[in-house]
Amino acid sequence: MKRCLAWRGHPWLALPARVYLAAVFLLACWHKLAHPESFAVDIATYQILPLALVNPLAIALPWVELAAGLLLLVGFRARAAALLVAGMMLMFSVAIALALSKGLDMSCGCFASQGAAEDPISGLTVLPDLGWLLLAVYVFLCDHTPVGLDGWLARRREEKP
Amino acid sequence: MALVRRIPGSRSLPGWPLAALRDACLVAALASGLGLAVNALRPGGLPLLAEKEYEILVPCSEVQGEADALEPDHPALREARTLLLDARSAEEFQAWHAPGATHLPYDYLEPVSPGALKRVLQSGAARVVVIGDGADPDSGEQLARELAGKGIRHVGYVRGGAAALRQAGAAGRAP
Repeated sequence: MKRCLAWRGHPWLALPARVYLAAVFLLACWHKLAHPESFAVDIATYQILPLALVNPLAIALPWVELAAGLLLLVGFRARAAALLVAGMMLMFSVAIALALSKGLDMSCGCFASQGAAEDPISGLTVLPDLGWLLLAVYVFLCDHTPVGLDGWLARRREEKP
Repeated sequence: MALVRRIPGSRSLPGWPLAALRDACLVAALASGLGLAVNALRPGGLPLLAEKEYEILVPCSEVQGEADALEPDHPALREARTLLLDARSAEEFQAWHAPGATHLPYDYLEPVSPGALKRVLQSGAARVVVIGDGADPDSGEQLARELAGKGIRHVGYVRGGAAALRQAGAAGRAP
């Protein structure tokens, strides 16, 4: 296991995974940043959080998504960003599963606020989230010398006398 | 400070998962703080605390199937293998219901729960007849069409609902 994790090819294999996850999160946060009021309605529709937490989450979460996406893209604190992505994916999957168990006929609100008629949640909605969760876990565990700013900074530190 | 430490994850740093966790918390806190600040400065920003409950628009459950309209004195209502369902509210059901009727309140905004659907399927009934409030639209007709849309066959509803059934004196069969 240790030998597998230490394989030198991981950072290069993790690079497309990082760029892909970054693209997903940057796309996902765009509409929410521009329209937090719509995102707040999406959160409220899940009927999980108390009213007092709906707006703070609607305001903060898109910025966390933006930060995670940018950090993954430039490779700065990529493992921390991957951990954030994994946490958010786990949270979204649980929320969708709870909504499905309640029989709510709604849109997931993952990318843009759409009506339930256009994009209703189903068991399949969780699958991409679980796929992205696996990618994030891979980056977290295996991207030990991230290609990007982290790697560049490390090389500069090592070159210094 | 975790953000200025050596790269988390290098093999010489065994505590990298903790460092990554610290960094993740810090990034989340900074991003959230930035988001809250931008929202506070933005004209028409979202209030931090919602003043009233959000009006959640949940679409009405799809009414798809075809259901038979039965007169209150239809003989099928007295057949032993007919399952009588009462779609009205609990209060209305308590006030009067046809003998042997099972209470399954119909909600225009909520689909029939999988549990209730399973109970109907497992009843072994040859026919399902729904008794509604007789209003326009009739909750009995709505529930019957929803059940038919979900694959239950031989579903009907009493024309005129519970009031018509009571007036006709056709009070179903003994419980």
